[in-house]
Amino acid sequence: MTREIEKAAGIPVVQIATIIPIMLTVGANRIVPGVAIPHPVGDPAKGAEGDLQVRRELLLRALGAMETELTDQKVFEK
Amino acid sequence: MRLELHRVKVRDIQWGEATEVRQGTLYVNREEALKAVEDSRLPLMELDIARPGESVRIIPVKDCIEPRVKLTEGKGYFPGFCAPVQPVGSGATLVLDGAAVVTCGPIVGFQEGFIDMSGPGGEYTPFSRTFNLVLTASPVEGLDRHQHEEALRTAGLKLAVWLAQSCSEAKADEITLFEKGTASEEGQKHPGLPAILYVCMCITQGLLHDTYVYGTDLKPSLPTLLHPNEVLDGAVVSGNCVSSCDKNTSYHHVNNPVVRALYARHGKDLNFLGVIPAVESTVMDGKLRSAAMNVRLGRELGADGVVISEEGYGNPDTDLCLNARFFEQAGIKTVVISDEAAGTDGASQSLADATPEMNAFISTGNVNEMIEVPPMDKVIGDPAAISLLSGGAAESLRPDGSMHVELQSVIGSTVEIGYSRVGCEWI
Repeated sequence: MTREIEKAAGIPVVQIATIIPIMLTVGANRIVPGVAIPHPVGDPAKGAEGDLQVRRELLLRALGAMETELTDQKVFEK
Repeated sequence: MRLELHRVKVRDIQWGEATEVRQGTLYVNREEALKAVEDSRLPLMELDIARPGESVRIIPVKDCIEPRVKLTEGKGYFPGFCAPVQPVGSGATLVLDGAAVVTCGPIVGFQEGFIDMSGPGGEYTPFSRTFNLVLTASPVEGLDRHQHEEALRTAGLKLAVWLAQSCSEAKADEITLFEKGTASEEGQKHPGLPAILYVCMCITQGLLHDTYVYGTDLKPSLPTLLHPNEVLDGAVVSGNCVSSCDKNTSYHHVNNPVVRALYARHGKDLNFLGVIPAVESTVMDGKLRSAAMNVRLGRELGADGVVISEEGYGNPDTDLCLNARFFEQAGIKTVVISDEAAGTDGASQSLADATPEMNAFISTGNVNEMIEVPPMDKVIGDPAAISLLSGGAAESLRPDGSMHVELQSVIGSTVEIGYSRVGCEWI
């Protein structure tokens, strides 16, 4: 889906998921590592406040990734 | 370490006054069996018998367990569950060879499967060839799903151990011996033979996807090393509701064909170092840590080669690739055993991940292959459960009871330790 949206619609996509090698294998360009497979975009073990911080940080990093010019696949680490 | 499996061959199963084996028939006292597994969390329990060749479907199946009990050097079975946490793998163990306990009932996790005791579906599962005592258990209303899983898992283990215990006076038809020293002793005995390690990847992902070693959840563990006898003597137990085609049931673990094959060649053309029950984590760092530590153990043991079997598919494909890559980079040759999720036409990429170091691959089949199974005269459990199983859908079950389903809904059909008859040809 990531590849097709970029290819067909020309809209840049940031993919947040946990298993980075799979995203690299399937050809995602802007990759933001998620937390864990059962909860990629948050960390419920950190409590409500901690979870919110994790989610905010991930979202801001994803927005930053979207604005980045790329020539190759890139993993946007924290 | 010397393990004797005292195999009592079971060629039929019947209800009886006393629970015992007589002339190859396993007689079961139904009331006593139910009493042995009582659990207030599972107020409704039923027992059924299913024999090879019968027109019977069992659905949804959670686990299959071989009835076993320690005769010497231990008591009960499955340490941490139905036995004290004691080292296993030595002494004598009674095996009701040809029998299985099958746990069934309202669905615990969506990735459970079915068994047909005859017909084309039966060809794909080893449990169509076992004489099955089927425990169908319904949970008390509102029972937490993890509690439900734990209750059903424990009930199945208890029933299997109770059965074997009740038959412990039976005379063995055959005794299989597994004897091997420590990795260090065997290395000195066989200095010229290639040292081979077996990495048995296990689903350890929480959310009803767990494996237990000596009664404890493997998920938070660092990789550990087991003597092959420990694997063959009940140290590893399945708590998995992962895709039924490629989960290692508790039955599979004690009959692991990779362990038995390596054992058979031990001291002849290889030196079998042991087994790592390896973690498949849900976080990237966990996957990296597990693969790195597996290699660390392999290097410390002086492994020349490693056999790696996967459990499950999807994200564990990355664990498989990492294991292959890290071992190969450490100069240790690898061969991997895995199934494929290549789509219903077989044309899609088989694994979610890939790496050039994964250069020797044994496939146990395509989980997405579509199969047609005819109606069965009797259904144990709930035929409509197919709509909830991986590989099934609401439209899978037709009004006449036949089903059009993916192979992955058949329990054990593509199991990645190779305990099946699926190959390029029927074998």
